[in-house]
Amino acid sequence: MNVETTTPAAGTRLETFKYDNRIVRAFAIATAFWGLVGMLAGLLVAVQLFLPDANLNLQFITFGRVRPVHTNAVIFAFVGNGMFMGIYYSLQRLCKARMFSDTLGWIHFWGWQSIIVAAAITLPLGFTTSKEYAELEWPIKIAITVIWVVFAINFFGTILRRREKHLYVAIWFYISTVVTVAVLHIVNSMVMPASLFKSYSMYAGVQDALVQWWYGHNAVAFFLTTPYLGMMYYFLPKAADRPVFSYRLSIIHFWGLIFIYIWAGPHHLLYTALPDWAQSLGMVFSVMLVAPSWGGMLNGLLTLRGAWDKVRQDPMLKFMVVAVTAYGMATLEGPTLAIKSVNSISHYTNWTVAHVHTGALGWNGFLTFSVLYWIFPRLYNTKLWSIKLANYHFWIAVLGMMFYVIPMYVAGVTEGLMWKEFRPDGFLRYGNFLETVTQILPMYRLRALGGSLYIIGVVLMLVNLYRTAKSGQFVPDTEAQAAPLLKEPAASPAFGWSHHWLESKAGLFTILAVIAVLIGGLIEIIPMYLIKENVPTIASVKPYTPLEVLGRDIYIREGCLACHSQMVRPFRSETERYGEYSKAGEYVYDHPFLWGSKRIGPDLHRVGGKYPDAWHFNHMENPRNTSPGSIMPNYAWLLQQKLDTDSLPPRLIALRRIGVPYPEGYENGPAQKDLRAQAAKIAMNLKVGLITTYPDGTALDKENREILAVIAYLQRLGTDIKGQPAPATTAPGTASNQ
Amino acid sequence: MEEKVLSGLGGVGIYGVISICIFFAFFTGMLIWVVFLRQPYLKSMQELPLEDEPASQTQSRTSPGNHEL
Repeated sequence: MNVETTTPAAGTRLETFKYDNRIVRAFAIATAFWGLVGMLAGLLVAVQLFLPDANLNLQFITFGRVRPVHTNAVIFAFVGNGMFMGIYYSLQRLCKARMFSDTLGWIHFWGWQSIIVAAAITLPLGFTTSKEYAELEWPIKIAITVIWVVFAINFFGTILRRREKHLYVAIWFYISTVVTVAVLHIVNSMVMPASLFKSYSMYAGVQDALVQWWYGHNAVAFFLTTPYLGMMYYFLPKAADRPVFSYRLSIIHFWGLIFIYIWAGPHHLLYTALPDWAQSLGMVFSVMLVAPSWGGMLNGLLTLRGAWDKVRQDPMLKFMVVAVTAYGMATLEGPTLAIKSVNSISHYTNWTVAHVHTGALGWNGFLTFSVLYWIFPRLYNTKLWSIKLANYHFWIAVLGMMFYVIPMYVAGVTEGLMWKEFRPDGFLRYGNFLETVTQILPMYRLRALGGSLYIIGVVLMLVNLYRTAKSGQFVPDTEAQAAPLLKEPAASPAFGWSHHWLESKAGLFTILAVIAVLIGGLIEIIPMYLIKENVPTIASVKPYTPLEVLGRDIYIREGCLACHSQMVRPFRSETERYGEYSKAGEYVYDHPFLWGSKRIGPDLHRVGGKYPDAWHFNHMENPRNTSPGSIMPNYAWLLQQKLDTDSLPPRLIALRRIGVPYPEGYENGPAQKDLRAQAAKIAMNLKVGLITTYPDGTALDKENREILAVIAYLQRLGTDIKGQPAPATTAPGTASNQ
Repeated sequence: MEEKVLSGLGGVGIYGVISICIFFAFFTGMLIWVVFLRQPYLKSMQELPLEDEPASQTQSRTSPGNHEL
């Protein structure tokens, strides 16, 4: 650790030590690199929404598989590395101590990058749990846990070795991140492996949905928000060269935010089959979130009181101001969208996409750029290579964000209203879902333009940072001096039980933060398991057949839920369009739940029996065959790839272990027999629809291919509550897409 | 009255009232707590990020006057 001790004239023993800049530089470079990669993946999927052929008919770069690459790369690679960059830089300086262990820091760094690479390989291959922002399969989930523990040891070790008695507000936010992300990740990662890269969520249906969105919402809170708030509280005062506006407000901001945030998860499930009490709790606590969030935003902006002239001159501050403003906008809009009446229009639409990107592009993106522009010149003991280029980056990024967000608002409100509009005669005005898709195609094009501009800005930043590095000399260690932390009595009589006292007790502080975080989660999740009435069972709901299990797993592999929900909400506009609204009891065998969160295409929960098998066959080969104008990609490979029936037994065993009532031994023969019989029946239906061969000329009954399993699954969807109707067997036509 | 207002938001019923109570109790407690914090302590905490490294490191490196294109 290289600590020297000197005794200055005043009699205070000072220790000389060095801050580690190498690890900060590594995370900074990774942030910039993965940021570009993640945004390019986003651009690829954005283009596919108006140009489906942009997938080049390759399954590995098709929308459903690349969308999680984009979200994971931006969240865990770009913001994740950005968070670590900020924490490793500021924690050392706020604690007046080098990081606890250089070795642990490098294990953390390379471990995290390896996880990102593993994600970038496995997700395009279709290895996914399907749970949003938690898609990575179980071996990678375990690796994340291990690396997070390594980070936590290094983090808390540094705090324990600090020379500054009190923990500054930024560190509180970091602490809440470290402990809460660990809890969220572990609870939501409970799966039953079926193979090395296939697992099933331990939870089913409604419970799985609640756990997932408790996780998903709080991943936004504790991965995208709290660490960045910590960085705001550290870097903004430094850049403005004045202290934070109100330390009192920062205390309220912190405790209010972490206490309330955790309750708000169910607002992602409004009007779904989730019990009403949980929805209501989620909604009202979401509205309350405005208070601490805006307290924090105002605290950030008011820190610049009297320093706005600096904002005009300093691009780093420009980025910071827009970031804090975007935080304010997103945290006002979030609670608004959580109000049920607003949510009934906004949910499943591009409005949510606009909201998310106000946060991602504005808050996370701009704050990351700001910190990168701050850190690079200091790491290389020089000045930023070009202020002008940074200013260009700023304005291009602002323009890009506007071109992204505004079209998505227009698209979201347009489709939300179109879905609900009735004619005077009582029928839906836009009964064909496709009309609501083609209507917003211009908005998709504008969004891609906005994303491209934003990426051009990032490229300018990379050039600027590279040239900055070349113009200076890297400083691997920064020398500093501080007096060691002396042991003092546990409580200060002058302050008693005060925050002052609490901030000197890192362990107790952490425990209280965990309690504040856990209360909301436990109150919402535990009753969902203990009270049977929360998920009323339906006698006619049966487990999926073996062929349907394989079809469902292909549906998961292809990421179909990125575009299709499986949740008909109890609105007349939805029951009219899709059929009976969805019941909690229909999902008791859904490991994982596949409700989705976006309707780029129509809901599929009642699609079973709606179209003939041949329609699905033709539709998957090329959706334009059956639905002219559709933006769904071709899934021709489903008609080419042989169905993997060898993997059936471990899948059925895994599902049985988590409660799906397949009889013992069913996987050793009977299941395969049932599978063949159902596949043969579908092949027969296809022949009725004048389809006798696969596209390459192979006879349908010669080989079972993946398309048969997908058809089996789609035809089963939502049919249990009306018995088991046989799929329609009429010849395929050019029926409109719902 | 509160229930009436909250119900207008979408049928929250008793959960709205309970949540509002928790909300006010929590924030009132927080407010009382922070109001009694002493100024010297607050000032010392606010200054922490500004005094954590040598002066040469705190100078602006992203203000005009640097290398230009």
